[in-house]
Amino acid sequence: MTQYIIRRLLQAIPLLFVISLILFVLMRNAGDPLATMGGRHLTRPDDRARLSRQLGLDKPIYMQYLYWLIGNDWTKMDVDGDGIPETPGTRRGILRGEFGTSLITRGKPVLKIIWERLPNTLILMITAEAIIVVFSVVIGVYSALRQYSLMDHMVTTVSFVGYSMPIFFIALVSMYIFAVNFKKWGLPYLPTVGMFDPQTGKTSAQVALHMVLPVFSMSFTSIAGYSRFVRATMLEVMSEDYIRTARAKGLPNYMILFIHALKNASLPLVTIVGLDIPMLLGGAVVTERIFAWPGMGRLFLDHVSRADTPVVMGILMLISVAVVVFQLITDITYAWLDPRIRYT
Amino acid sequence: MRRTWLYPVLTVIVVTAVLLTSCQPTPAPTSPPKATEPPSKATPIPTSPPPTAPPAERKIMTIIFTQEPATLNTVYSSMWFESILHQIWSCWALEYDDQNEAFPRLVTEIPSTENGGVSEDGLTITLHLRDDIVWSDGTPITAEDFVFTYQMYMDPANAVASQYPYDHLESVEAPDERTVVMRFKEPFAPWEAWFWRGLLPKHVLEPVFEANGSIIEAEWNLAPTVGCGPFVFAEWESGSFMRFVKNENYWLGEPKLDEIFIRFVPDDASQTAALVAGDADLGTFPPLSDVPALQDAGLKIIVQPSGYQEGWFFNFREMAHPAVQDVRVRQAIAMALDRQAIINDLLLGLTTVAETYWDGTPVYVPDDIEPWPYDTERAKQLLEEAGWTDTDGDGIREDANGNKLTLVHGTTTREIRQDIQAVAQQQLKEVGIDLQIFNYDADILFESYSNKGPAAIGDLDIMEWSDLPTGFPDPDTDYWLCGQIPSDENPWGYNYFGCDEELDALFGQQLTTIDAEERTAIVHEINRRMHDQVYWLGLYSDPDYWVVGPRLANVKFSGVTPFYSIMEWDLQ
Repeated sequence: MTQYIIRRLLQAIPLLFVISLILFVLMRNAGDPLATMGGRHLTRPDDRARLSRQLGLDKPIYMQYLYWLIGNDWTKMDVDGDGIPETPGTRRGILRGEFGTSLITRGKPVLKIIWERLPNTLILMITAEAIIVVFSVVIGVYSALRQYSLMDHMVTTVSFVGYSMPIFFIALVSMYIFAVNFKKWGLPYLPTVGMFDPQTGKTSAQVALHMVLPVFSMSFTSIAGYSRFVRATMLEVMSEDYIRTARAKGLPNYMILFIHALKNASLPLVTIVGLDIPMLLGGAVVTERIFAWPGMGRLFLDHVSRADTPVVMGILMLISVAVVVFQLITDITYAWLDPRIRYT
Repeated sequence: MRRTWLYPVLTVIVVTAVLLTSCQPTPAPTSPPKATEPPSKATPIPTSPPPTAPPAERKIMTIIFTQEPATLNTVYSSMWFESILHQIWSCWALEYDDQNEAFPRLVTEIPSTENGGVSEDGLTITLHLRDDIVWSDGTPITAEDFVFTYQMYMDPANAVASQYPYDHLESVEAPDERTVVMRFKEPFAPWEAWFWRGLLPKHVLEPVFEANGSIIEAEWNLAPTVGCGPFVFAEWESGSFMRFVKNENYWLGEPKLDEIFIRFVPDDASQTAALVAGDADLGTFPPLSDVPALQDAGLKIIVQPSGYQEGWFFNFREMAHPAVQDVRVRQAIAMALDRQAIINDLLLGLTTVAETYWDGTPVYVPDDIEPWPYDTERAKQLLEEAGWTDTDGDGIREDANGNKLTLVHGTTTREIRQDIQAVAQQQLKEVGIDLQIFNYDADILFESYSNKGPAAIGDLDIMEWSDLPTGFPDPDTDYWLCGQIPSDENPWGYNYFGCDEELDALFGQQLTTIDAEERTAIVHEINRRMHDQVYWLGLYSDPDYWVVGPRLANVKFSGVTPFYSIMEWDLQ
């Protein structure tokens, strides 16, 4: 197993290298950061030429990638525009642990920018993911065990409604009902946007209160989908021969359910959740935008729209590494859940 | 039996989930705390330090920004939401009132040739500073701060947003603490509008510059704890909020508000919900379809002219469609477009038709300009005269060689522009013009010539966006200069439209004409030519829209420095 893990990690190195190259080229061709630096006015030609030089955007794309990868402290840059490189570079490159600085928030390190947002995203996403997994397993198992009961039919109906609704719709409708209209009707109401009320300050209670609507919006659609999935796999497993054997052996119901059935039925769910976890780092673009939650999704969107390559690359590489790592963890969990799988 | 297992398992999962959040969420109260309640004593979140809990009686105004500023340092400001903050915590030498008229803020009077502040040859401008101006830490603001600000703009290591118009200067000197002398290479008429929009505190930033060789990474850029506005920076949490508190050392007296809390809410619908729910006191640019709902909820919509005009920029360069290079076709388009209907239907009649590029400053609009009427018959006649006739009966005109009158229209992805495109397509089809429409993100539409930006290389016959004279309310603009046409030699040029040598000469003249009357006459001439040749066709005046909550009092806005009177604002 150790050999397997080491081999997988070594394989990841060229993979991440190729990913970074593709992403960098795509990103640098996705728009010109200087085009919007004039604000609502077009950027002046003199300023564009100067900034292109001073921010290193005038270099060929392979050189920009190289600087991003290994830094530019081994060479000199032409900052004053006289055609002679005179200023020593200061960047150390991602291979030496420096993700660079933002082009938009001039001079601010990318890691600092990401680090400011990551905790907010994790608070929101982990809570939502935990609620999704718990509720979908409970609902899915219940529906499977009580197939075609009234409850199953009701859950199925709600699931289809939830699954077919776009998240922005649920988010806005819930905001208007529980925040705007409840307040108008004199009922206890929830806040609309942000993480806390400025009069009260940023306390745990305030953050929890402000999390209710975003977590609800994110969970609603996912629980609907996942619980259908759990129900289907659970039904499939419950009709397997080994469940019948277990019953024939006279095992108690809970052992059949949790040790034999749920463990096997959860295999496909582990794959899905395993893929979900690295994506948690990326945040929820739509939910964060609507509820003005200061997370990674909005950070990504803000910087992509202004073609801020260093920040976007930082976020994407973070997610790429997380995908590779969590894929490995998922595979290892698989081996633990299913004794037939052996990695060598 | 099953239950005995189910509950412990569920409990473990739930507890783990709660622990993972490292938030220890407390049960949500049945109603949120009232504004007068003392701050909650619950444990703060360990991931970021909480702001000091404000006392109950503090007057906190909440503003919603739909975009988050990237910086607070005025030399790096480019976004509108960054520049409007200047009057809160920073200061301009001259600011503008609700009529968009300049008034002195840091200086004793506006320099002119009459008061000797502007030399006869227009090469020297002298500013006399007020005696009582101080930074928020009590240090006097002196002429040395102006010299330092100029030096920071011009130092290449700082990579500032724009060196305009400081690159027109030869030097800035401080003969004494209260006098700033600006010397120019050649007379520069638009000086009044653009210089000293923000000032850098020399005593804070000079040590940083000396230590690092640049101020690009100065902490002050993101946390300017020393400023010169009625409020002073307190806190900024990325993506979430920004706080400013009363400046106790403000030389013009004490602001009425205690704190300004700016919340970043990128979604328009959420902004509306927050304003209606009373979670914010001030919002900007609401979706116009939400205006009735906002008014019903007791909020006021204030429309403040800002010099911006939404308009069509015609490409009359050689690569453009031959039709659009012909002034008769451009005039026909001007008359085939029912601009008032567009305003009534798409903008709820909240604004007016923009006739000229200088509508925001009526002094630069000559009386003899005749607005283009909506007259499809006259438009058809002009198209016939220009040789465009529908010979094959498909509704689209052709020239003698059978080339279709198909024009390419490109703009950004903003919703209102896409709606206008669709309406314009229908309206122009009435007169036999086929309009093909395209949308791009702004950073792709305005890509450089070398990167094959669609505007720069001339792929578009008509382009649409909202713009204003460079130094509004000054009339100067250099978009139509012949030297700004993009090419291999000048890949950054932004004259995506074409070269008219007569216009080019007039633009050059107004730039160096110091005499106000003489300059106004030149701008009138430019305006007439631009209008008659239809190089630019105004659609509508694009003012600033402010949504003001019922608690706010004494609110006035300027179109140049919106928060110029913020120290007078109050909460009821």
